[in-house]
Amino acid sequence: MSTEVPVLKVESLTLEYPAGGGWLRALDNVSFEIGKGRALGLVGESGSGKSTTALAVLGLLASEARIPGGRILFGGRSLLDLAAEERRLLRGERISMVFQDPFTSLNPAIQVGRQIAEPLVLHRALSDGDAAIEARRLLEEVGIPRPEDVARAYPHQLSGGMKQRALIATALACSPELLVLDEPTTALDVTIEAQILDLLERLRRDRGLSMLYITHNLGVVARICDDVCVLYAGRVVESGPTSDVLYAPKHPYTKGLLASLPRVAERQLRLAPIPGRFPDLASPPSGCIFHPRCHFVVERCKGEPPVLSGIGHAVSCWRAEELADTPWPAPEAQARGARSAAHPDAAPLVEMKDLAKQYEMGGVFDNLRFDRSGGFPLRFDPPRVRAVDGVTLDIAPGEVLGLVGESGCGKSTLGRMLVRLIEPSDGEVRILGEDFGRLSGKALHEHRRIAQIIFQNPDSSLNPRKTVGEIVARPLTLFGLARGNELDAKVAALLDLVRLPSSYASRYPHQLSGGEKQRVGIARALATEPRFIVCDEAVSALDVSVQAYVLNVLAELRDRLNVAYLFISHDLSVIAHIADRVAVMYRGAIVEEGPAAEVLKPPFHPYTEALLSAIPEVGRSPGSSAGRGRIRLRGDVVEKDGLIGGCRFQHRCPRKIGKLCETEAPPWRIASPAHRIACHIPLEDLRRADAVRLPQEA
Amino acid sequence: MIAYTIRRLLTVIAILAVMSVAIFSITQVLPGDVAQMIVGQFATDDQVKAVRGRLHLDDPAHVQYLRWAGGFLQGDFGKSMMMDRPLGPLIGEAMARSAVLAGISIVLVAVIGIWLGVYAGVRRGTRADRFISVGSYFFISVPEFFWAILAVMLFTGYLGWFPSTGYASLDEGFWTWARHIVLPVATLVSGLVAHVSRLTRSSMIETMQAQYITAARAKGLPENIVIRRHALRNALVPTITVLAIDVGLLMGGIVVVETVFAYPGLGRLLIFAIEQKDLPMIQAGILVVTAVYALANLAADLLYAFFNPRIRYGSSAAH
Repeated sequence: MSTEVPVLKVESLTLEYPAGGGWLRALDNVSFEIGKGRALGLVGESGSGKSTTALAVLGLLASEARIPGGRILFGGRSLLDLAAEERRLLRGERISMVFQDPFTSLNPAIQVGRQIAEPLVLHRALSDGDAAIEARRLLEEVGIPRPEDVARAYPHQLSGGMKQRALIATALACSPELLVLDEPTTALDVTIEAQILDLLERLRRDRGLSMLYITHNLGVVARICDDVCVLYAGRVVESGPTSDVLYAPKHPYTKGLLASLPRVAERQLRLAPIPGRFPDLASPPSGCIFHPRCHFVVERCKGEPPVLSGIGHAVSCWRAEELADTPWPAPEAQARGARSAAHPDAAPLVEMKDLAKQYEMGGVFDNLRFDRSGGFPLRFDPPRVRAVDGVTLDIAPGEVLGLVGESGCGKSTLGRMLVRLIEPSDGEVRILGEDFGRLSGKALHEHRRIAQIIFQNPDSSLNPRKTVGEIVARPLTLFGLARGNELDAKVAALLDLVRLPSSYASRYPHQLSGGEKQRVGIARALATEPRFIVCDEAVSALDVSVQAYVLNVLAELRDRLNVAYLFISHDLSVIAHIADRVAVMYRGAIVEEGPAAEVLKPPFHPYTEALLSAIPEVGRSPGSSAGRGRIRLRGDVVEKDGLIGGCRFQHRCPRKIGKLCETEAPPWRIASPAHRIACHIPLEDLRRADAVRLPQEA
Repeated sequence: MIAYTIRRLLTVIAILAVMSVAIFSITQVLPGDVAQMIVGQFATDDQVKAVRGRLHLDDPAHVQYLRWAGGFLQGDFGKSMMMDRPLGPLIGEAMARSAVLAGISIVLVAVIGIWLGVYAGVRRGTRADRFISVGSYFFISVPEFFWAILAVMLFTGYLGWFPSTGYASLDEGFWTWARHIVLPVATLVSGLVAHVSRLTRSSMIETMQAQYITAARAKGLPENIVIRRHALRNALVPTITVLAIDVGLLMGGIVVVETVFAYPGLGRLLIFAIEQKDLPMIQAGILVVTAVYALANLAADLLYAFFNPRIRYGSSAAH
């Protein structure tokens, strides 16, 4: 910390929104500062006020917000005292922002190049032509191949990663001093995220940029930030250098967050979630705002709000000193090593054989083609997309099969075919030996009881007009499993199973938090006493502390009821945590499959290896990985669907060996009786995957 | 874009072909004998026979259809039975007069409706917005013939500013011409403006909440550029679709308005044809209306594509 004026200094910022006649305090006494060329991570769960802070810095708050106290100093100038017009002129020129979702942050009706050029024309008064040239240079700087083409393209023609690069280029156009990034990689696949993080690191180094990096992902913070500031319910609970805060956390909330993170290296343990729910900011709890959820709460915490204190590494907790070496308590139910793994000899519960789904693209008129070869001159010949392309997998009773892959790889389609929400175009699904695809009428109805599904987004998968009780009771009545008084008792039992009080039966979904909603979704899926549940990104939309809780509930149910899961996720840490076996999917096909412990260790399929290497995890700090060299996949490669031949990963594979990969489909390499890898590279070479070592916990 | 236009044109042709079959089959599905129905129950057998001969009702159905449709393709619309004149010029003249009404109306609807909608949408929740909203509810909920009658009573009867009925050609002077169409146009426009402005308003409000609008503000763009360059283009996309639907509503409205104001256009001609059971004229008139509607939708689709690059350029990635 030097004496120079920080680029951004937020002092005791308090911010309120009108709510039901009163004022809701979204930020309370928030302070932090960012020096030149430094990156500060602003971390917190949804509702913690991190995005509000960003908008306050930019001056883009909704007009009804008011700031009763505090200052925002930008290079020593007090932003809140400036006229709206002066603040506008700072935006895009000296302070820039990159938003969370690249898919919605670009105007769909304007060419990308023009959108990048806009701030240049505005702030630098460049002519359109000069601005266009500069836009192309910026696109090149953010690592976009063939910038001329991309500049002319419309947003929908670009991939998510390219869009985010274009948005970063826009933000950099006028060489700002401060870049505010609001969850810039959350909507992206992990391999693309890794590239964007590399880019940001490089830009910071090259341009001496200061960054305010907002994220819920502690792994990303560990990767990119010098300092970190942990927000909870609009209050700073802890702040300091990243290495101190993440590796020697002082505040119970920070400890809890870290304990909630699933990690690839510690897959045997059950996670330690934070109990309770996020406080209602309209009537916050007295004393320390975290006290209702804190394990270490004492009388004093309930009465007196603690103050942020400490030089360098500051914490807002009365008991920080005495608890310095006490970790967040682990849950009582420990180590699921005791539970016998699924019996390998037992007949499989679910069998998929050459399962495939193809979609035809476009409408009738789009696909009429002239055919000169004779016969009727018009042909109806739609291009086909192979969403799932010949998958053969088994799931044993009580087994958790993790299915991991990037967005668009076909994992959700596969999951939906298993419960026949989507009809397969080819191949078969057998459940308990019965050909599920051929069943109809009563037999199908009966079989649906056995196979259930939990969806990703609990907000849209629960009917908002029905109470929780009605939602959970619906499958019970549908399958004639209970009626009358018995029904209420069963609903209560199901809610208890997912650790919700029975009083919740009369509530509506909008009265529940995200994690509670997802637990209702689980209770609904369990109502029919299924043998098998497809969990389609079931925890992806949840905050880490809630995600840990739901993961624990799922793991516990599996142990108690012997339910099998197909656990679909893009997040390899979550998969590693919960799955017994892991299948890695790439562009419609399985490329590696085996017991979790084996898939996460060499030999790897090159794609698995890249996925593992891309995960930003706490414990894999920038320093420790410096000499190791990460594997980066090209994400901007356009792959034509009409697969001519060879390996489907050939275009992005960092270990491609040559012509063979382009012409012949890779053979299955049998690494162990239960572990297979589809690759041309011999096993001995795959085993020498020294590029990725699993992170050692600090 | 060219391929897209051709595809759309093919769709329009297909629709017209299907519709022509449907319109033609009126003669086939009407209960009883068509000729008898046309000439009335007191006609002699000879009269019925003459009508049958004129309409070629004794030929097989497909031959009748091909003759009728083939005539249209060659510009021969057939002959009016009541007036005994070729339908082509008859319908052409009437359509030209209706087109003046419809053209002026749709332009006014688009300009005023969009402007009001954008104005209200940007100022959501203010007094101006509420005023526009209440006003448009009012105009949507009252049918247009009510306005027509009210306008005639007020401006013609009481104030005497405009003639209540009839039509004047431009040859009689611009003001004479204009005075004859003010009331019909105002009546036609009132309900549709309300319709378009409500839709534009909600579409504008939705667009203003989009992330790319916040992103545009974060670039430091002044609010008027944010609205003009970033919001308007996207907000107008649903409005265009609705304008095409409104062309259909407008044609319904024209029939009413032309009748009330005794304006000699296509709507009035159709009503006349129906009253007189002039079958060839009914068929030709309906086919023309169908064609106008299909072409209006084609125009909307093309405009839509112009505003929405996703349609213009398909979804292939730039590479």
